[in-house]
Amino acid sequence: MKEYVLLMIGAALVNNVILARFLGLCSFMGVTTRIDTAVGMGMATTFVITVSSMGNWGVENFLLQPYGLGYLRTVTFILVIAAAVQFTEMTVKKISPPLFQMLGIYLPLITTNCAVLGVALLLVEGKMNFISSTLFAFSSALGFSLVMVIFAGLRERLALAEVPRLFAGPPIGFIVASLLALAFMGFSGMSTN
Amino acid sequence: MDDTIEDSLDYGAPTLVEGFAYVVAVEGETAWLEPEQTTSCGGCASASACGAKGIGTLAERLEARRFSIPHQDGLRVGERVVVGVSEKALVKASLTAYAIPLAVMLISGGVAQWAVGSDLATMAAMAGGLLLGLAGARLNAGRLNAHGELSPRYLRRADVAITCHF
Repeated sequence: MKEYVLLMIGAALVNNVILARFLGLCSFMGVTTRIDTAVGMGMATTFVITVSSMGNWGVENFLLQPYGLGYLRTVTFILVIAAAVQFTEMTVKKISPPLFQMLGIYLPLITTNCAVLGVALLLVEGKMNFISSTLFAFSSALGFSLVMVIFAGLRERLALAEVPRLFAGPPIGFIVASLLALAFMGFSGMSTN
Repeated sequence: MDDTIEDSLDYGAPTLVEGFAYVVAVEGETAWLEPEQTTSCGGCASASACGAKGIGTLAERLEARRFSIPHQDGLRVGERVVVGVSEKALVKASLTAYAIPLAVMLISGGVAQWAVGSDLATMAAMAGGLLLGLAGARLNAGRLNAHGELSPRYLRRADVAITCHF
């Protein structure tokens, strides 16, 4: 049990997808102008990363490794991710059309989110069993969502602040993101305790 | 200056997420609206720029997101209006669609791993948990919809010059 908790903390906070691995920066800057859109995007990404990591684990262990097809890994993983996104979109549309009206806009963006592919490739490097790899993917996605929501909150406050004209817009956003990354570096101290 | 702004803000007040939509049809007591393409993240634009026709194109995507509101205020086809949903509704919708299936799936996988300890059994349990969670999400979405919590509301007519405030 303890190893699972450490795995999840490490994936979500210490090796955060956005602030430590610099993945998913497009949606990090693009969809964090409001907290509600950040929550929508974060939850959708969490779902897709977790479901696609399960599919990718199966493909890696039952198809690519046994048949020596490692050179097809990236293409295959992208296919699995696109299928997971399409599955999610169709499911949300089927279970509730009003939900699809509210959340459907975030889903196509996830297909091209490099964080999803990045987590899948990290899982291959980790050589974990199924439950560990799923928990690792879920925690990485939770860390992604956490940073998205924190950054959206900061940007909402930043919109009210007087920023010098030279730094207005994305420049001050990047400065705030770097300060947030410095704050998250504090979590790396946990690994020595 | 910052202090003044802080004091004037009421973070507890209910807020609406506003968006623009076009009236595409009026049928008796119902007006059908299509959301306007947003530019904040280019999601719609990327769907239209991929070159594919049919599934995934901008027109298909917008049509799929068509919704109805009670016909009021003498709306006519082609008019641009502002609609809104509660900020909490978006969070509730996200939790319903994604958190419920994920939670059930992970709990099922954890129980299977603890009880059986094999990867295949865990995979099967998680797949079953996912389906069970989706059924739960459907139930909760139906409940929210019955209370009208997911329906966009007509707020006002929009000027042509006004753009999305993202």
